[in-house]
Amino acid sequence: MPAVIDDPLSAAFAALAHPVRRSMLERLSVGEATVNELAAPFEMSLPAVSRHIKVLERAGLVTQGQRAQYRPCAIDATPLREVSTWAERYRPIWEGRFDRLATYIDELDDAAGAMDDTENFTDDITDQKDHT
Amino acid sequence: MSDEQNSDDAVVIERTFDTPVATIWDMWTRPEHFRAWYGPTGATVPVAEMDVRVGGARRISMEMQTPNGPMTMWFVGEYRVVDPTDRLVYTESMADETGRVLSPAETGMPDGHPEVTEVIVELADLDGRTRMVMTHRGVPADSGGAMGWNMALDKLAAHLADLD
Repeated sequence: MPAVIDDPLSAAFAALAHPVRRSMLERLSVGEATVNELAAPFEMSLPAVSRHIKVLERAGLVTQGQRAQYRPCAIDATPLREVSTWAERYRPIWEGRFDRLATYIDELDDAAGAMDDTENFTDDITDQKDHT
Repeated sequence: MSDEQNSDDAVVIERTFDTPVATIWDMWTRPEHFRAWYGPTGATVPVAEMDVRVGGARRISMEMQTPNGPMTMWFVGEYRVVDPTDRLVYTESMADETGRVLSPAETGMPDGHPEVTEVIVELADLDGRTRMVMTHRGVPADSGGAMGWNMALDKLAAHLADLD
């Protein structure tokens, strides 16, 4: 039995879970297309194609223009962005790093009380090239 | 400390340290310092090769313990801007141990994860203290076509199929 999909993310996931619809999005990612153009690669009735477009439209992935008989379809990447808000996953990682950075600097300061900054690693690095 | 607003494809973090700007610069640009703080808790950074000049390469490894044993991740990139104590910009991609850049699909990263990301560090001297603004930005993977998205979407669909 069909479940009612009311949150945008689930609607986007559901819409993407079909090869025909992903293929349509791929086509639209390079520019607008009419329903006929979207239907061309598929051996599928026009009503079937329209149903797929409707699913994409309901998920907010595709918008259909109002221009007379052409009504070209266009991709809207907003829901895709929601699917992949990768940046937010990085925030806690960086926050943790900077906490450790602050701790590390404190440790360095404590150590520097006893010893001046005499670190010089340049001489320790020998560029070994093994020609055999 | 205040976090700036973040756009859809970047995380921006601002911090102020009671430390001179030169020290903070060293934390980012000297491997022996960078290794000390960069790795996540419980992980180490065994390799930090950093040729800190414009066009210079960077290669970082990160080793962590997983239930399946130790796992090493590699990151490669290059320095884009090296403006000592003011501004540092470098790119970062996940790679294998030979330095070959991996696609997000290969690394099992989240769907839509960009292949190349850019880290921008901006430092300001506040009379002996330092304000640091770090921006980590995803470089859109679809600039060369829908390839990146398609891989991500296929993976997403497979994941959804598994849930059914």
